Amino acid sequence: MVRINNYEVINGLYYSETHVWVRIENDIAVIGITDYGQKNLKEIVNVMLPDLGVFIAQGDILGSLETAKAVIDIVAPLSGTVKEVNENVIGKPSLINEDPYGRGWLIKIAPLNLHMELPKLMDFSKAIEWYKTLT
Amino acid sequence: MSKNIVILGCGAAGLSAALSARKTDRNINIIVIDQEEYPAYSRCGLPFVIGGEIRDFNSLLTFSPSMYKMMRIDLRLRSKVIDIDSNSKTVVYIDHQNRKETLQYDSLILATGASPIIPSISGVNKRGVYVLRTINDCKAIVEALPSSRNAVIIGAGLIGLETADALYRRGLNVTVIEILPSIIRASLDEDMAEIVKSSIERKGVKILVNRHVDEITGSNRVDGIISNGEKFKADIVVLATGMKANTELANRIGIQTGITGAIKVNSRMETTIKDIYAAGDCVESNHMITGQSTLSQLGTTAVRQGRIAGINAAGGYAIFPGVLNSMVSRIFDLEVGTTGLNMIQAEKYGFKVLTGSVSWRTRAEYYPETKSIRVKLLFERGSLRIIGGQIIGGEFVAPHINSLALAIQAKMTVFDIVNLDTCYSPPLANTWSPIVLAAESALSKIRIT
Ligand SMILES: Cc1cc2nc3c(=O)[nH]c(=O)nc-3n(C[C@H](O)[C@H](O)[C@H](O)COP(=O)(O)OP(=O)(O)OC[C@H]3O[C@@H](n4cnc5c(N)ncnc54)[C@H](O)[C@@H]3O)c2cc1C
Repeated sequence: MVRINNYEVINGLYYSETHVWVRIENDIAVIGITDYGQKNLKEIVNVMLPDLGVFIAQGDILGSLETAKAVIDIVAPLSGTVKEVNENVIGKPSLINEDPYGRGWLIKIAPLNLHMELPKLMDFSKAIEWYKTLT
Repeated sequence: MSKNIVILGCGAAGLSAALSARKTDRNINIIVIDQEEYPAYSRCGLPFVIGGEIRDFNSLLTFSPSMYKMMRIDLRLRSKVIDIDSNSKTVVYIDHQNRKETLQYDSLILATGASPIIPSISGVNKRGVYVLRTINDCKAIVEALPSSRNAVIIGAGLIGLETADALYRRGLNVTVIEILPSIIRASLDEDMAEIVKSSIERKGVKILVNRHVDEITGSNRVDGIISNGEKFKADIVVLATGMKANTELANRIGIQTGITGAIKVNSRMETTIKDIYAAGDCVESNHMITGQSTLSQLGTTAVRQGRIAGINAAGGYAIFPGVLNSMVSRIFDLEVGTTGLNMIQAEKYGFKVLTGSVSWRTRAEYYPETKSIRVKLLFERGSLRIIGGQIIGGEFVAPHINSLALAIQAKMTVFDIVNLDTCYSPPLANTWSPIVLAAESALSKIRIT
């Protein structure tokens, strides 16, 4: 893990420019919101996530987050079928703020086209460089 | 195809409009254009950067630029809008690479803010003369600090005095020149203003009222000013003589402006041209007590109006109820807050006023950190409803002002206020709330006469 301007970036994850992270666990991709995303959004008060079994395509909207001021659509970083939804985070959205890379994960999908789509995301070292350019 | 909302200005009002439009319609395209290089930031925080309390300009940004992508707001910075065509529903702007671009809108929101008024004093263009509106204005002042010893602020309104406070914290000798007979005259009555003035003067800051500035002197760079024939040294001069609504684009296409010179809007924040809304410092607002137009030009008003404009522009329905111009400011050691009408305004609008005042303590008298606080309340004779309040104190002024705003909006009378059930604990509050005591002082005047 490294800290860039007080934002945590974790080794082994892939990152999108809309502040979504992906962790590949065998044939499953876990998806969540980055530390940068959650800190800038501040307290998340509501989460909407897709149903199990739904297919989402990379770049589609997979769900949304609501804060006191804004609603944010979560852009899917990969294509795949939803295998698991974090019910804890629906009951307690502040988990995303408390533990964005851990208990605050959002969904797990069975990716469809990983080898084509993963290179469109930033790996750890690219993400570090990108985060350094952000204010 | 989804609709386009185009928002001119990414300040407090523009951003609030964008966020509310997104909440109202999830599929709409939202494009926000601003000529500055930073997206929405707290202008209200600028004096505290000058004063050194806040180190980093970036911490004033509401959202960092990269968050706009996540929020699906198409942000176009360093882009100046030069024309609007309300027939073809297009906006023309010059982008950051100096290219001319045209954008189609379904709804347009003008959130163009206001700009500092530059008084016509000889020498205002000299180097070392500043205004305070943008991060870049603020940076210029901060850069000048190390080589400066004396500062003159022209204008003793809130921005002038907050800037005086900031420069004083940086160790400069500060003089404030005000043309009117008292300071913060848009908000405070003379008796209250006098308390603030003498507290600032005790710090060694000069405040000169009833004074005009004849000339800003210096060959190329400012070296001083002349006021009523008297010379004052200055390495920094800050013009804080008020803000003027940015209405050029509105005027150009025939959108009506009102008696204050700002854009006229209805309660849905619609201008006089269909599908064009406006919000924030560029509009005039309806005063909740007088029902007349007023220039509010506060950050709180901007976000509330932006929200209404955004909801309506996105196809929702929302109404702006008007303003009381509630405000608070920390001026040297004092917190100063007001809401509703002051004496000058009340008289201007024909109210016969009953006042009540009290000087009190913020916490139990024996509690070590207790500070003084003075409350002045204005009631309308006859109806006895509360129409205004002014508070000066060492602490807790903001929450008291908020309760007064609540009382005014709830149309409470002096009788309701003397019977308020307030809270108390020695380290946190006094047994009697100063608001209740000020109301009692007003009531006692009508009981004996
Ligand atoms: C020093 C200072 C201290 C303040 N303190 C307080 C406070 O303590 N409390 C409070 O309530 N209020 C305070 N205010 C007032 C508050 O900051 C304003 O009311 C608020 O910023 C208004 O927001 P707005 O969005 O209407 O305008 P702005 O924030 O001015 O935003 C308008 C934006 O539109 C852009 N724009 C204008 N024309 C064009 C164009 N043609 N093309 C492209 N872009 C354009 C401008 O560049 C600007 O970024 C303070 C103001 C200042 C300057």
